[in-house]
Amino acid sequence: MKTIAMKGSTLFCILVFTHSVLAAPSGDDSATKSYFARGMIEKIAPNLRQVTIHHQAIPGYMMEMTMDFNVKNTNALSGISPNDEITFTLVVDENDEWVENIHRAGQSTKAMTNKMSMQMDMAHGLMTSELKPDDLLPDYALTTEDGKQIHFSDFRGKALAFTFFFTRCPLPDYCPRMNNNFEETRKILLTDTNASTNWQFLSISFDPEFDTPAVLSNYANVYRGDDANRWLFAAAATNVLADVAQRLDLMVMRQGNNISHNLRTVVLDPQGRIYKQFDSNQWTPQQLADAIMQTARLSAQ
Amino acid sequence: MFRNADSKPRKQRNDERLFAIVAIVGSLVFGAGFCFLLFAMNNRENNPANEAGHAVENSKSRLIPPDHPRQLVNFTLTDRTERTVTRSDLAGKILVVDFLFTSCSLTCPAVNRQMAQIQQLTANQPDVKLVSLTVDPRDDTPAVLEKYGERFGANTNRWLFLTGDKSQLYDLIGTSFLAKDLDDPFSYMPGNFSHTERIAVVDSHGHLRGYFDGLNQNTASAVVEEITKLQNQTL
Repeated sequence: MKTIAMKGSTLFCILVFTHSVLAAPSGDDSATKSYFARGMIEKIAPNLRQVTIHHQAIPGYMMEMTMDFNVKNTNALSGISPNDEITFTLVVDENDEWVENIHRAGQSTKAMTNKMSMQMDMAHGLMTSELKPDDLLPDYALTTEDGKQIHFSDFRGKALAFTFFFTRCPLPDYCPRMNNNFEETRKILLTDTNASTNWQFLSISFDPEFDTPAVLSNYANVYRGDDANRWLFAAAATNVLADVAQRLDLMVMRQGNNISHNLRTVVLDPQGRIYKQFDSNQWTPQQLADAIMQTARLSAQ
Repeated sequence: MFRNADSKPRKQRNDERLFAIVAIVGSLVFGAGFCFLLFAMNNRENNPANEAGHAVENSKSRLIPPDHPRQLVNFTLTDRTERTVTRSDLAGKILVVDFLFTSCSLTCPAVNRQMAQIQQLTANQPDVKLVSLTVDPRDDTPAVLEKYGERFGANTNRWLFLTGDKSQLYDLIGTSFLAKDLDDPFSYMPGNFSHTERIAVVDSHGHLRGYFDGLNQNTASAVVEEITKLQNQTL
């Protein structure tokens, strides 16, 4: 739902943005300034003259916050009600500040691709694409160590823990630590007789050209030993990575055969939503095991 | 009725064929030459300091002008000693700014070694401050940046490492400093900033003067030269 709403809002972004570019007096010269923004309606005053919006950061103007805004033309609120996700224009002149061009986000937008929605977010400097707990992860495709295509939705019904690495990673406290931690966590879960069994590990390479299925499965066996039980290795294509980076705050910078990157480990609940994110390399296998057990158990009930 | 091509005299057909071959080969050669010329010119324009390559450069480091006029916008961030830092704290200073994430193991240390040199070369110039902006505030807390700054001998008052709210950081970086490249096949990161390896210089009025290639070993001295120019202008 949320992604559809987001895609919808981006279509409006294009429409509204194009419109405001055409219509707006050129920014700095006039005393009036317009800012394109996004947010959610919290309250509408009975006389329609004021609206409370929880808005996202308005680049160059203000941070994310909840604020009361004046409405000059009350028609702007027709068809809009509390809890609607909206896009709007904030107009500021010397003595006054008001909102206009209020549109509900989330209509007729199936054609929007992730890339486009990302570009619109970028164009406005918005941080909408970073996922928070309970947000659904887009159903990305990956190529596994068996050379098969899989999707995240293939793991529905299970708690899914995934992390990112590349096989040529030279730093022991980076990728190798992530996969070592996965192995430790898997041991904890396999030996705990109280743990539910609906969980899965997934290690994702961001070096798809080098990390072919053969390279992946060789590397995987170093960490998994002979037991591939519930731990799969895969590689993400570059267009997938471009989107994943936005959603999961992942940074990947390639220099020749080497890659600078940060570390992101994520636990999805059995419905494919973000349950917990472990940043950097300071988390322990026990913490990860606890998170997996909690969310796996919730769905088993 | 169409006249069949085969009904032409053989001689004429051969001439036509020869002409076609000459024309095709000629236009191919001309086209290739033209493309090469374009490519070469493009390379010369865009590549004064080997921006594309990530190997550390040894050539002369030149000022790269901003893509459009950019100004320091308002911000409220936190430095590595947990002090709140706003734009007004830096008002009137010449700023030398770079971009990093501490888990970046390749380019960022090379760029920060240039920053460390600049800190040394401007040691007795109180009107110059260095600023490092993280693009990874989730990982780069003040404590993490504190350690990182120590690694490069950063002076807590002269070289600020700033972190904080991601949207503020990204707004500052995207508005005041870096362009975005959505199709960079070599780098994926939220914000899609391009040329994070550059070192930016901001004049005392908050205008972005331009950038230097942070991977060029001669950048520290080139930045200091630029700072001297700015100081002479304001005198």
